[in-house]
Amino acid sequence: MFTLLAKLLSALNSESSTRQISLAIALGFIVGLSPVFTLHNILFLFVVLFLRVNIASFILAWGFFKGLSYLLSSLIVSVGESLLTAEPLLALFDMLYQFSVFKIAQLHHTYTLGALVLGCVLAIPVYFISNYLVEKYRLHVMAFFEKFRIVKALKASKFYRVYCQVSGQGEMS
Amino acid sequence: MSRFFRWQGLAIFVAIIALIASFIYLFADSLVKSGIEKSGEWYLGAEVNVEDVDITYSPLTLNISGFQATDPEKPTHNLVSFSQASVGINIWQYFFGKIYINELNIDELQLEQQRKSAGEVYILVDEQSSKDQGLSDDSVFPKLDISLPKVDDLLNDSDLLTVKHGQALELSYQEEKRKLQGIQKKLPTKASLEQYKKQIAALSNTKIKSLADIEKLNQQFKALKKQFKADKAIVDEAKEQVVSSKRLLAKQTLDLKNSPSADWKNIESKYQLDKLDGADFAHMLFGEKAREYYGYADNVYQKIAPLVNSSQADKKSAADKAQMAKSKGRFIHFTEQAPLPDVLIEKANFSLILDQGEFAISGKELTHQHWVRGKKSTVRVDSSNVQGSGELGLSLDFELDQKNVLQSKGEWHLTDVALKDALLQQSSAITLQLDSGLLSGNGTFSLLDEQIVSGNDFMISQATFSGTGDSNLSELLINTVRSLKKLGLKVSAEGKLTDPNFAISSPLDKQLKKSMMKQASKKLTDFKADVKDGLNTKLATALGVANKEGESILDVEGLINDTDNALDEFINSDIIKAKKKEFEDKQKKKLEDKLKKKLGELFG
Repeated sequence: MFTLLAKLLSALNSESSTRQISLAIALGFIVGLSPVFTLHNILFLFVVLFLRVNIASFILAWGFFKGLSYLLSSLIVSVGESLLTAEPLLALFDMLYQFSVFKIAQLHHTYTLGALVLGCVLAIPVYFISNYLVEKYRLHVMAFFEKFRIVKALKASKFYRVYCQVSGQGEMS
Repeated sequence: MSRFFRWQGLAIFVAIIALIASFIYLFADSLVKSGIEKSGEWYLGAEVNVEDVDITYSPLTLNISGFQATDPEKPTHNLVSFSQASVGINIWQYFFGKIYINELNIDELQLEQQRKSAGEVYILVDEQSSKDQGLSDDSVFPKLDISLPKVDDLLNDSDLLTVKHGQALELSYQEEKRKLQGIQKKLPTKASLEQYKKQIAALSNTKIKSLADIEKLNQQFKALKKQFKADKAIVDEAKEQVVSSKRLLAKQTLDLKNSPSADWKNIESKYQLDKLDGADFAHMLFGEKAREYYGYADNVYQKIAPLVNSSQADKKSAADKAQMAKSKGRFIHFTEQAPLPDVLIEKANFSLILDQGEFAISGKELTHQHWVRGKKSTVRVDSSNVQGSGELGLSLDFELDQKNVLQSKGEWHLTDVALKDALLQQSSAITLQLDSGLLSGNGTFSLLDEQIVSGNDFMISQATFSGTGDSNLSELLINTVRSLKKLGLKVSAEGKLTDPNFAISSPLDKQLKKSMMKQASKKLTDFKADVKDGLNTKLATALGVANKEGESILDVEGLINDTDNALDEFINSDIIKAKKKEFEDKQKKKLEDKLKKKLGELFG
């Protein structure tokens, strides 16, 4: 866990592109909201591994948003329920239901569909917000925190040693 | 391109997928084993053990060995266990969110088998309900007793109506007599009446010389008449009292006359002498057993009902399901060319081993959503070694509609099932056991929304019975049953599935009644005659007293009538008229004499 946090901080402080980190957080958001073993999660895992996004940020975002998804479960289910039972969409789902891949992806389940749709829709603002926050962090927060004694004390801790080791290796790629 | 893509990521992706697949492949058996145990424990609330699970992938089949589910009400025993089961699952349908089992085979399915060590129980068990089931109901069989009471004791019973009504009649006579005597005192005495007579005579003998004398006589007679009327009012009151007393006493006499027969009815009922006529012997003897066997079937139904989503269970859990769908979501299925229910077992075969024998159970199209494919579930049970060499065949079908109304019908037959040491009755009055016999039978049943209608015929042949009774009558019953070699029974059940009304009839009823009546009739006839004689004597005594008292009332009535007649005579006597006439005649005669004298002088 320390290593992962250190890697995130390293990525934030390193030369990694802001967009790489933000995209990782947005993808972590989508995967975090969905049930673990779903077809689209495998697809997103493939995307994360294949595209140059920050993996540490993705893993942490996944964990964070997985926790958040329990609080949002009613919202997720109601989104899925309203989509799957919406009169104008019945014909579309009827047609999709005839494809095995639709059923294997379990997109006819209210939670799975709700999580995917909500995740995909909210991933866009999450991406831009993350982008903004990472930039702000790099500009102001890092320098601001450097001044504090507690930060100096932390730099003497085991966590900082791990951080330095990770930073020394540079960004994971 | 490498600025955007991470080619080594592909290798990592493949490695991760391979890792997951290997993990599933290597640990699937343990995962499924643990899944069965945990979900079973969650459902039952008691320890569930699985010895081994083996998965074959083409086609996907789960092979489960050594399954044991602890009975939460009796942890030393398994609720259900089997040695081997194979479950052929359609994996694609599983991914689509449906459980579609092509074939389910369970070998050596056993119920209530003792465990090697007691299983753990995770829920609180309602011990009262399990205790209640074991209670023997003494009241099912009435305490038949022909140890008749002594006739004298019975006749001395102050609760007898003959005695009560006799005493009441006697009391009434005393009371009415007292009332009449009170009135009698107010009546004019014989001397008074004599005096009245003399006064009337004196008035009649009064010499009338002028109209003033008549007026004076009239005044005197009016004064006397006033006295008569006052006396007459007393007499009328006495007459009314006599009528009311006679009416009351007549009613009580009638009650008294009817008392002996009412008393006999009460005695018959109290000592159950009437039971011989109306006793439903077959129900008494076999009703308990029929309920016990029905209880087994009901137990099985109650366990299966939640699994097939019976209407009741479904209504109960509807709120839970809605809550679950709200928090965890649900599958929504759309129209398909070949739709499938959420859960479907296309074919199932069990071999069930019970103490009674080995049963082959097969089922087809087992589901809780029959309307999806429009097919009914069918179940067949066969055995050729029920209690040794008996044969059983049972076939039934059932279906649930979209409103969760369960509809089912079926038929069964049983041939030469050996019965041994079947306890039919154990109560304080009688113990009766069927030591041995061969049971055959057949029947049908139908079920619609928890309402059952079932008709069944049984025949017990080569029967031997034993038993003990604490009274002559119960011993008589046992002896009669023991003399039977063949016994036919008709058992029907109708009403609510969980508590149907049983009707059990048999030629045994007639046979028993006839036999018992014959043996009991002499004793009963003598007893009846003695009791009736005693009651009649009591009646005669009570009526004798009544007659004596009645005579005195009649005397009073006679006196009242005589007084009434005398007063009427006095009141209606026409002294004044007679005296007036007498006076007028006298005056006429005087005038005639005067006129004759004048005419004689004139013509003389």
